[in-house]
Formats: sequence, C-alpha cells, structure tokens
Amino acid sequence: MKSLSPFAPKLLVAALAFALPVGAAWADIKIGFNVPSTGFAAADGKSALEGAKLAVAEANAAGGVAGQKLELVVYDDQASPKEAVPAVTKMIEKDKVVVGVSGSYSGSTRAAASIFQKAQVPYVVAYAIHPDITLAGDYMFRVSAMGEVQGRGGAKLVQELGKKNVVLVTVKNDFGQSLAAGFKEGAQKLGLNIINEYEYGMADRQFGPLVSKVKADNPEAIYASGYYFNAGPLVSQLRAAGITVPVIGQEGYDSEKFMEIAGPASEGTLVTTSLDRDSDSPVTQAFLADYKKATGAGADMVAASSYTATLVAIDGLKKTGGKGGEALKNALASGSYDTPIGKLSFNDLHEVQKDLQVQVVKDKAFHRHSVIHDPVLLAPPTRAK
Amino acid sequence: MLFVELVAQGLVQGSIYALVALGLTLVYGLLRILHVAHAALFTLGAYVGVLVTNASGSLALAFACAAVVAGIGGVLMYRLAYQPLLSQPPFVALIASIGLFIAAEEAFRIVFGAQGLSFVNPPLQGQVAVGGGLQFKQAELWMMAGTVLIIGILAWLQSRTRIGVACQATVTDPQMAESFGISLRKVRDINFFVGSALAGFAGVWVALLNNLVEPTMGDVPSYKALAIIVLGGLGSVPGTLAASLVLGVVEAFGTIYIGQILDRNAIAFAFLIVVLMVRPQGLFARR
Repeated sequence: MKSLSPFAPKLLVAALAFALPVGAAWADIKIGFNVPSTGFAAADGKSALEGAKLAVAEANAAGGVAGQKLELVVYDDQASPKEAVPAVTKMIEKDKVVVGVSGSYSGSTRAAASIFQKAQVPYVVAYAIHPDITLAGDYMFRVSAMGEVQGRGGAKLVQELGKKNVVLVTVKNDFGQSLAAGFKEGAQKLGLNIINEYEYGMADRQFGPLVSKVKADNPEAIYASGYYFNAGPLVSQLRAAGITVPVIGQEGYDSEKFMEIAGPASEGTLVTTSLDRDSDSPVTQAFLADYKKATGAGADMVAASSYTATLVAIDGLKKTGGKGGEALKNALASGSYDTPIGKLSFNDLHEVQKDLQVQVVKDKAFHRHSVIHDPVLLAPPTRAK
Repeated sequence: MLFVELVAQGLVQGSIYALVALGLTLVYGLLRILHVAHAALFTLGAYVGVLVTNASGSLALAFACAAVVAGIGGVLMYRLAYQPLLSQPPFVALIASIGLFIAAEEAFRIVFGAQGLSFVNPPLQGQVAVGGGLQFKQAELWMMAGTVLIIGILAWLQSRTRIGVACQATVTDPQMAESFGISLRKVRDINFFVGSALAGFAGVWVALLNNLVEPTMGDVPSYKALAIIVLGGLGSVPGTLAASLVLGVVEAFGTIYIGQILDRNAIAFAFLIVVLMVRPQGLFARR
C-alpha cells in the first residue's frame, strides 16, 4: 500500500525543508543522514535524528571543522530499500555529501551501503545490524554490535541466569532473524535447550495465541526479539497470562516507551543493548544530560547510537580537515573513539568489538544488570571470515 | 486446554474484526465502494479514547467521544470525498479512499507524534480466572460482551425501526426507495455514522488490549477487513460477522501451527483464496 503513496515525494521535500535550516548559509561540510522520518519506523527515526542533530550542534558550537560549519543533510527513507536508493543517490550526486551516516534500519541501510561504496563516500552505520552491510566494502563502518553477536550474548545471559530451557520468539525481519541465528549458535555452544520457536510479524501487537502456547511449553526463560511497540504488548500479555519467567529482549526494547506500554509488567525485563544508563563514563553521562536538555526526553539506544555514528564521522572529518574520500576512510579506520556507547575502534571489516550491556527494568527505568564480557563469544566477524 | 484457549483468543480477535468490518460492509452494501479509509477512523477512535481517558479518567466518556468523533469523521469522508465521485466507476472512489487513508496516517503522526500514545493508568487490566486454568484480561471479556450487545442492538434497529427498514430498502433498490420518500442522503449519512462509530469503538478496545495507539495501527485492519467482507459475501451483515469470528479462530491456530511458513496476516488471504475457490460467492452469501 505504501508504494501507492502519492505523498512520498512531497514528504521528501518537506524533510529537506526541515533539514536545511540546520546548516544555514555558511554550511560547507555536508554530512548525509538517511532516517525513517515517516512510516512504521518513524518513532525510532525521530530519536535517531535528535541524536545526530545533537552531535552536529555540539561540533558546530565548538567551532566546526577546519573553520567551516557542518551541515546535516537529512533524507527520509521510510526504513524501506526502495525509498533509500533515490534518497541516498540524491544525497551523493546533488548535495555532494562528504560522508554518510545511517540512522535507519537494516533494510534501507543495506540498499544504501552499496551506493555509498560505489561512490567512495564513507558511510557510518548507527544501529542497523545486518551482516551484509559491512560486507558491501571498505567504505562501510558500523558502531553497533551485529545481530549474530547480540544473539550469542543473549544465549550467554540465559546461561548466566542459570536457566536451560528456552522458548525463542522472533520478529520476522532482518533484525529478528540474525538475532535468532546468533542465539541458536550460542545456545548450542553453551548447551541450552530450545524447546520451541515462534515467529511473528512486525505489525503484530496481539499475541493471544502465542502466549497460550508459550504457557503450555512452560519454559524457564523467553528470548523474544522485537521492538518496543511489539515487546510492550507482548511482555504485558505474557505477564497477564500468568507467565513469570525471565523475558530477555535486545536493543529494540530500549526505549522509554517500552515501560509506558507494558506498565508494571515491564519490571524485571532484561535487555541486551549498547547503552548503559548507569555507566560511570563521563562521556555517556554528559550525552544523557545533553540529550535530555535538548529534547526533553530521555535518550534511548537509537539516539545514543546515531549520536555516536555522527560523532565518529565528525571525528574523521577533523583529522582530514573536512576532506572525504579515501583520506576520510583511512582516518576513520585508524581512529579510536570515546563515545556514549563505550570506547570503540574498528577491526579490518570495520566492525567494533565491545562488551554487551545487560539492562534490567527497575522502577520504570532501565538500569545496569550486568555486563557480558566474552571476547571470544562476542567477537565480530573479520574480513577473513 | 490449549485448544480451548486458542479458540477463546480467536474469538477475542474475531470480535475486533467484526466491529471494524461491519462498518465496511454497510458502506459496501449501500454504495459499492471499498472504503479503505475506514481503518483511519478506527485509529482516530483509538486516539480519542486514550486522550479522553487520560484527561478525564472516565473510560465510558472515552468510548462515547470516540464513537461520536469517528462517526462524524466517517460522514465527513463520505460528504467530501465519496459523494462527488459517486457517478465515477468504483475504482475511482477506491483510489480516493487509499489516498485518504495514507493522508490520515501521516496526519496522525504529525498531530499526535510518531511514538504513539498509551494510557497513563490503563483501565480494565485485571485478571479474571474463568476456571480450568483459563485466564482473561477484564478488557477481553468486556469486549466480547460489548460486541455481542452492540450487534444485537444494531440488528434490532435495522429490522424494527423505520430508519432501519429505510436503510435496508435503500440497499436493495435505491431508486425504488427514493420514490417511496426515503431520503437517500439521510440514509447514507446514518450508515456512515453508525459504521464509523463502530470502528471508533473497536479502536478504543484495541487501545485497551495493547495499551498502545500508533499512527499506523490501521494498516492491518485496512486490508484484512476487506478480506473479511469478501469472505462474508460482499454486503452481507450476518456473513461478515460469521467470517470475522471464523477468521479470528483460524488465525489463532494458524499462528501457532503454520506460523513459520505463513505469516499471520498472510493466513487471512490464504484462507480467502481457498474459500473463493470452493465458494466463489463467499462463505455466507445468500445467493
């Protein structure tokens, strides 16, 4: 139905019109940013855009790069590959961005990746987790842990909780499938028993039949992938049916909306994510405070990751004096970055290696539960593999 | 046990489908328009329900407001979008309807925000044990009871009151009805109002069940309700009701036993294809 949208071009124009004032007249160095401002992922898109805008505003307030101001060129990709292709092409051909940042989902980011690679414009990906993205080539960089890695971490968490029999509930898209693949791999290594596996669609909010079946399965833990808009109703419905075992989610849950939707049922839910709200890192705490000040809302994983990806891009630009292309690629690849989601550096496939943060919902907020540190199990893929 | 639970969950889902699809079938029976934008009124009802409950604390008031606002929205859609197109072929109105629906979704996003809204203190969330290990949310039980009540009242109105009979007459033969002094315009307005009010009502129930209303929450009902009215034999009210409940139950089992092969939302259409191959006039058509 979305393909029939007669408004899509107008919305693009509107998105552009909103984007322009950010840079003003002296804007010289352009950073392209594709983000789902409309459509089903618009809520994450909003967080992502706020995060990226904050990074650019802070850099500009500190004097910009090589005496020039930075401008964020924003395009709406509706988290859809077919919208991403023209948006990103325009960004490169017409706006002549020197670097791109993805604030979007895997589907659109995968489509955009090959275009950036072909144009030799570095592309820093915030939170899209599909493995193919960095495989598109050496101009790709990713600041978050890949789906498979997070899935393996989820299995490790189940083991650390002392549980063995798990039910797997998977959202049917790139995100869910790669998490499930990683979880199964980890479960096999760690000797967990997957009793049953279910899949559901992105648009599902009512899980009555699934909940009944999970109850009959009687697992010790539930590993359920999804976004807060699926997970909120799911967790609430699981608890309502009298299922009390731990529910383990991932960064898709990582939004204040999750607690708002699931209410008291959200208490005790565990999520593996990249943002540790209780971190003692001054960079993380400064980001959380600045974001709250700028937007009035608490930061989530998407905002923190998009801020980080933009920050990494700006850091590279500082080293090259605003130049893009191969110089920027090399600068990005060799840098190390202190960011709100931890200290990052890229491996030869331009993936990051980091610990997995486990957060738990306590008193309507995410707090630190534990940190999974297992460099072998959580190793990102490398070029050789 | 699981069997009973799945049937019960299917009926809960089926009741929602019934409320949404009823309005659609009324419109189709009357004007032969596939009213995709109907689902936007479902979303509108849900938003009004949450906003009014959060502001006033009264769920009853919220239901009333949601039904009235959605009802008026439906009449406006008819007057502004469909009435000028009645002389055109049906696909023209269908395209207008799709356009209206997309515009409405984006309008919800702009006005209410992309993140969606939730109840501050969600009502009717308590658990009711029905015996034998079966457990329901209060909202689920109320919803099924409410659906039965509303449909009962509608059936009574349609067969026992003057305006109900006028509606039926208009569906059967508009020209003849008009020559008997029935105002077509009035009948159409009433039909849109009642059908849309039902969708608004359903929106509030879904908001209660999920504690989340979003701009895109009408996406699935928009096309699934079309499948339901085809299943029910286009324009047939009892057929639509039966098709809604059957589809709810088929989906409940399908999600569990063939969910890995077929998406929940694809099940509706697979079921539709099978039914149309065997009974092209629809499951419950009179012909």
